[in-house]
Amino acid sequence: MKKSKVMTAKEAVSQFIQDGMTVGVGGFFHSISYALTHEIIRQKRKHLTICQPSFNEHADQMIGAGCVDRIISSYVWMEVFGPLYCFRRAMEKGVPHKIEMEDYTNFAVMARYLAGALGIPYIPINSMKGSDMVNYSAWMGENKAKVVKDPFGSGYEHVLVPALQPEVGYFHCQRADEEGNSQMWGIWGDMPWSMRACKKVIVSCEEIVPRELIGRDPNRTIVPAYKVVAVVPSPFGAHPKHCQGYYDVDRDFIFKYIRESRTPDGWQKFMDEWVYGVADRNEYIKKFIDDAGIKKYLDLKAKDISCTSVNYGF
Amino acid sequence: MSDKYSNFTLQEMMAVAAAREIKDGEKVIIGTGLPLLGAFLAQKTHAPNMVAIYESGAIDCKPMVTPFSVADSVLVPGSAMQGGLMEGLGVVHAGDLDVGFLGGAQIDKYGNLNTHVIGNYRSPKVRFAGSGGSNDIGAGCKRTVVMMLQQKQRFPEKVDFVTTPGYFSGGKEREKYGFYGNGPSVVISTMGILRFDPETKEMYLESYHPGVKIEDIKANTGWDLKIAKNVRETERPAPELIRILREECDPTGVFLKKAE
Repeated sequence: MKKSKVMTAKEAVSQFIQDGMTVGVGGFFHSISYALTHEIIRQKRKHLTICQPSFNEHADQMIGAGCVDRIISSYVWMEVFGPLYCFRRAMEKGVPHKIEMEDYTNFAVMARYLAGALGIPYIPINSMKGSDMVNYSAWMGENKAKVVKDPFGSGYEHVLVPALQPEVGYFHCQRADEEGNSQMWGIWGDMPWSMRACKKVIVSCEEIVPRELIGRDPNRTIVPAYKVVAVVPSPFGAHPKHCQGYYDVDRDFIFKYIRESRTPDGWQKFMDEWVYGVADRNEYIKKFIDDAGIKKYLDLKAKDISCTSVNYGF
Repeated sequence: MSDKYSNFTLQEMMAVAAAREIKDGEKVIIGTGLPLLGAFLAQKTHAPNMVAIYESGAIDCKPMVTPFSVADSVLVPGSAMQGGLMEGLGVVHAGDLDVGFLGGAQIDKYGNLNTHVIGNYRSPKVRFAGSGGSNDIGAGCKRTVVMMLQQKQRFPEKVDFVTTPGYFSGGKEREKYGFYGNGPSVVISTMGILRFDPETKEMYLESYHPGVKIEDIKANTGWDLKIAKNVRETERPAPELIRILREECDPTGVFLKKAE
């Protein structure tokens, strides 16, 4: 029996996420670890560089809380829900402090992760060519991207982007075992490449399951245990985002956040209530049920649309 | 057909115009809102073999209810394949797809799009989301369909920041980059339908929406907009299309506002 890596969010963040680190955040709208994001904010991490192909309110909350100096991404917004005001205040007015962003495309960040995961120094891409994203950079200067002539003679130029290997990454999935073998289904988002590119990975999950269950369906594993340093059981840990097979996206809550974060005071009030005012995810769930009602909580629960099983026999 | 469906909103007409841009059997990457409704409408009418692909990695989606977001969980059950961004955008990057839908804060005379900033990139007046998959779609899809709110400041002669190149400065300039994608084929705006001259690649007005005057469109364009010789009113949607749009594509009114 290998060592269990199961711990609380508090323990995982205090042990593995330090000020000034480059942190990969996993997910694409679906299955984002608010459990760990909120803990990073409560522990007042500073000077982080956060990386994700597309960021939503989780980034906005970290930016508003002053945790973030730099962003590597293609997108910081909440789709049809609306803009993210802390991001805009920081980029437009330097509130609460100035932040920098290296603007890539969604695929370009994935390509950087792919190179990182494969241990190759850079990768050529078709995107970004001719755009102002190659003409402007922030702290990376000319190392953000390079335009080079194809050495294999196509006659075209290509954009090279460097490998991205964050010091630590965190993500949320449906289930993991105590060692950290993590299984995810539905929309993988930037997984598996983002987390495979990170040096260390913290996983928060809806359920802890036995190693034996993981082995019954190994094709569903997206990160093997040896990459994982902490396993944080976090039911409802992606709320207000969805987690396929567990609960749906909470649109009302996302709209509420966007509405209230229009002003710094409104944002602070929201955060005092939902982040600083709760000790951990259990208190958050309790507060959510008290606030929104048990009916709303149960309405978010996923319907049963189970798949058929397959034969792994030999 | 009852009168109920003979009236239509601007939004509905734009969704129908988007549907017309899709041919049967094409592989299409779709976003949310009007492009999504347009693609659904195409699939339910003239393009039953269209393959709907989402950035979130859902390929050949057949959702049971109208998805709100490109990463909605309703996209997953029933899809032919589900992966992540590498799968959803990998096929775009590889040049596999026929059509991609785009939008933006600004579009210019040669179809270059800006979704980054208004003003100076380093100290922006307004900062927007960034590229997301926009630049990837513009580089990889054979053609793109752009949907825009038509206002003078949104149609400048030159965009403040090139997020997704269209035809650069026009002519053959795009060709030297070797993209799989050939650039934008149409702009469906809130006032009309605009296309690009095959030689100069300059945007021109093909049709104006019912009730909109050509002078108004010119006044809401930041350069001297050329008008097609055979300019006409945008084809009004048949009542049957409006019925399918309202009753089948968006029965709960996720995107469509109710007609007045």
